[in-house]
Amino acid sequence: MTAKDDKHIGILLQKYWDCDTTLAEEQELRDFFSHSDLPAAWQPYAPLFAYTREEQSLSLSEGFDERLRAAMEKETTREENYITIRIFAPLLRVAASLLLIVGLGISIFFISRQNNNPWFVETYGDPKIAIKDATYALEKLSLALQTTEEASLQTIRVIDDLNIDWSALDSIVTEEITADSLEAVTQDRDTLNIGTFIPGGKKEKNI
Amino acid sequence: MRKTILILTILLTSASLSANGFVTQFINKYGAEDRPLTNVNIGKTMLDKMAANTVDEELKNAFRELKSIRIVSSENAKDSRYYFEKANELVKEEFSDYEEMVSVNERSSRVSVWMKRGDKNVQELILISLDEESHLSIITVSGKIDLETIAKLSGTLKNEPTLTEEKPENK
Repeated sequence: MTAKDDKHIGILLQKYWDCDTTLAEEQELRDFFSHSDLPAAWQPYAPLFAYTREEQSLSLSEGFDERLRAAMEKETTREENYITIRIFAPLLRVAASLLLIVGLGISIFFISRQNNNPWFVETYGDPKIAIKDATYALEKLSLALQTTEEASLQTIRVIDDLNIDWSALDSIVTEEITADSLEAVTQDRDTLNIGTFIPGGKKEKNI
Repeated sequence: MRKTILILTILLTSASLSANGFVTQFINKYGAEDRPLTNVNIGKTMLDKMAANTVDEELKNAFRELKSIRIVSSENAKDSRYYFEKANELVKEEFSDYEEMVSVNERSSRVSVWMKRGDKNVQELILISLDEESHLSIITVSGKIDLETIAKLSGTLKNEPTLTEEKPENK
């Protein structure tokens, strides 16, 4: 190797460090440093260019394209599946909700039926025994109704005892109270008898 | 969707509970093992049998028109007072479609009667009473209820009703 060559390589290296080399110059440097009989001064740079050369010589392994294509196809299939689920998602939601509602309804029906069984079963099988309870119930009811009737009649008797002058009351009827409604009140007072039931009547004493 | 499910659940639950009637709701809500209650249910079949076996015409008609009689009672004075208050609370809070017909408050006894008027043939009546001995009676009656006839029945019912021999009813 001549001094001229050394100088040329030195310039190329400087350009390489300054990132000013062309592709041809870089190839020239790689060729130069691939020689085995490099002067000692250049040997420290040899591994760098050897590494660059090795990296550039790397190639794809055999069957890489096929493997890549297969992987891509698999991905596409998965995406298609996802789209199918997404299309049916609203229907699935509706179906799940319906299932839940039906399930709840059935559960509530059975639970309420189970809870109610002890209370809905007919207590007696013999009408002769059942009639005692039935008459007890009706008698209680009957007495309550009679008490109310009596209380209502008692109230009317008290009003009668007050000797209210109904005709005088008629004359002070305001415009809001029609003559018809007052007449109805008077008729009620006149026609009420023992057999008449007054709903909503109240008797309250000694509370 | 969550709201819909919640609303439907509430509707289903409330429908299920309202169909159970006052007695069932009362027992489910307040019945306790340490406060024993006696429950008697008389259904339409038994009422028809009783109507067929009763000689008194008014009582026969009353039984025939009714669909069910249910009685809940307690003979313990303390429990009875507790249940009486609770029954009145329940009817006011959860049976607002019933109107109070009768309310008798005396020193020794208290009675309230509530009625729901449905169609002509189905009425429902709840009687809640605490008698002179502080015994509780809750009575629910459903069916066609003729108050005037029932009011007249007490005279008949003072004596045990005369029964005929049981015969299958001709329809």
